[in-house]
Amino acid sequence: MSQEQAIKIEALNKSFGKGDAFVDVIQDASFTINKGELVALVAPSGAGKTTLLMMLGCVDAPTSGTIWLGEEKVYDNKWLTKETRKIRREKIGFIFQAHYLIPFLNIIDNLRLLPQANKTDDKQSKAKARELLKYFDIAEKEKAMPSQLSGGQNQRVAIARALMNDPEIILADEPTAALDMARSIDVVKMLKKIASEQDVAIIMVTHDERMLKYCDRVMKIENKGIVFDDEHTTKIL
Amino acid sequence: MIHLAKEDIKHSLGKFIVTAMGVGMLLGIVLIMMGVYRGMIVDAEVLLHDLDADLWVVQENTLGPFAESSRVHEDLKDTLKSVPGIDKSEAITFQSIQLPGKNGGKKVRVQVVGYDVYGEINPINPERLVEGRTLGIDHYEIVVTDKTGYKLHDTLKLGRNDYTVVGITHGSVASGGDSLVYLSLKDAQQIQFSYSNKRIQTDKARGILNKDAHLVNTVIATLKPGYDVDQVAQEIEQWHHKSVYTRAQQKIVLTRNVIEKASKQIGLFTAILVGVSTIIIALIIYTMTLEKIKEISIMKLIGLPNRMITQMIVEETLLLGILAFLFGNVFAHLISGKFPKRIVLDLPDAWGLFAVVVVASIFASFIGVKKVISADPSAAIGG
Repeated sequence: MSQEQAIKIEALNKSFGKGDAFVDVIQDASFTINKGELVALVAPSGAGKTTLLMMLGCVDAPTSGTIWLGEEKVYDNKWLTKETRKIRREKIGFIFQAHYLIPFLNIIDNLRLLPQANKTDDKQSKAKARELLKYFDIAEKEKAMPSQLSGGQNQRVAIARALMNDPEIILADEPTAALDMARSIDVVKMLKKIASEQDVAIIMVTHDERMLKYCDRVMKIENKGIVFDDEHTTKIL
Repeated sequence: MIHLAKEDIKHSLGKFIVTAMGVGMLLGIVLIMMGVYRGMIVDAEVLLHDLDADLWVVQENTLGPFAESSRVHEDLKDTLKSVPGIDKSEAITFQSIQLPGKNGGKKVRVQVVGYDVYGEINPINPERLVEGRTLGIDHYEIVVTDKTGYKLHDTLKLGRNDYTVVGITHGSVASGGDSLVYLSLKDAQQIQFSYSNKRIQTDKARGILNKDAHLVNTVIATLKPGYDVDQVAQEIEQWHHKSVYTRAQQKIVLTRNVIEKASKQIGLFTAILVGVSTIIIALIIYTMTLEKIKEISIMKLIGLPNRMITQMIVEETLLLGILAFLFGNVFAHLISGKFPKRIVLDLPDAWGLFAVVVVASIFASFIGVKKVISADPSAAIGG
């Protein structure tokens, strides 16, 4: 595991509403996640997991604080660039509860969509997509439509898509929610492997405590603050 | 290179084509409406074309004989001969009647053209005469159009007399779209101006004599080469106290006065249909965009620029519009022959509609694009 920082948060706050409707969701959160780490994010429903994920994904602006993605400071009480979508395109990979592949694109085109937006050479993106499909053992399905694949296969394609832009971090929102136990373990082990082999930081939201032992660290939202629970952390994997 | 619009359409091709066919039928109706208007113009000019007259002499201060009632004396055709420049002249009557249906069938509204069988101008265009001949004698012969249902040598009763069909024409219509039938001037005058025996008896008892038997609705004339039509018209108006219209003026009277309201009505109807088509295309695109809103949110979340997504929406809308336009043309050509009145599908009208469809599609796509721009990328995260 590298000691190079992938995400650094300092004094992050997020609140919604005004007056009687004012709600504090995240208060004074500070943490660092290094490249190569798989970190589980655990909290009860409504505690702010999605809000945190959206802030880290440069979708929602924090109320105050500082965010570094890699060595680049992207937020310092305001976005430091107008093109937050470009940051997402170049630095962040997303995995969702369901695979959310584009249903009208075949598997390889689902993977090539992001490189096309980044104006990557067509041949290069095709080669990279094939390499990833091979890595996830679904190379023979490159021309298939998402509707023709099983849930587990689609989730692997979704993970492959998240890796197409060589991200520094991957934000995974309950990627095992729609899978059975065996497949869930497969996916989390796969994420662990990706984190270490591709040197990428992965934050995975999960409600399933059985998955925590496969993660390097467990991050919890407690009393609106971020705490790390080392009890669940395994050093064996 | 991934073409999002192409892939999306390919994925739901059947639905896309059926949608385009539906909109196409609407656009087909728009084309038909335009065709009805063009048909009216063509119909209005059939008589002008067939009579091929340079001047139309009608009752003073009237827009006769089509836009207003006009009566002039039949012998005006001889008087006109004394006007310098007049070559041929002919007295013509026009009258709308209900032609008895064949074998006691439904009556057919027609316009009777009465002309002197032995005169200088024959209003029956030989190109339209598909069977038989033109009128050969002064009485009891009739030339009808094929739309009346009568065949050669059929007989039919008009007024007190029986008439034999001696000729069949095709495409002979009046400005209102009624079929034209041709009678000798004497027969036509009798039908138009003669009263029943009872009426004549009553009039005689009152001291009124029927002197109107030799009236016609207009006298038409052609010019000798080298004469200015406006100057000759002015001469006739000045000395004979009649209103005179050149061919161009009569055409204006027909298109502006006779079919003006109908064309405005059709124009308004067409504009409404174009508006409705635009709204329908916009609604379809809006629905299609809504169906993809989750995918659009994901695309935005993973970092796809709005340009790529809006391009997909605009291209799909344009393609829908173009495909609908093509279907509309096919549909219009398939059904145009089924209408009772003439439908003229002009290429310039089709191109005009194409331009409108393209503009309307772009306008309609704005609704989808607006939805794309306002789509929340965070909607992709969470349940």
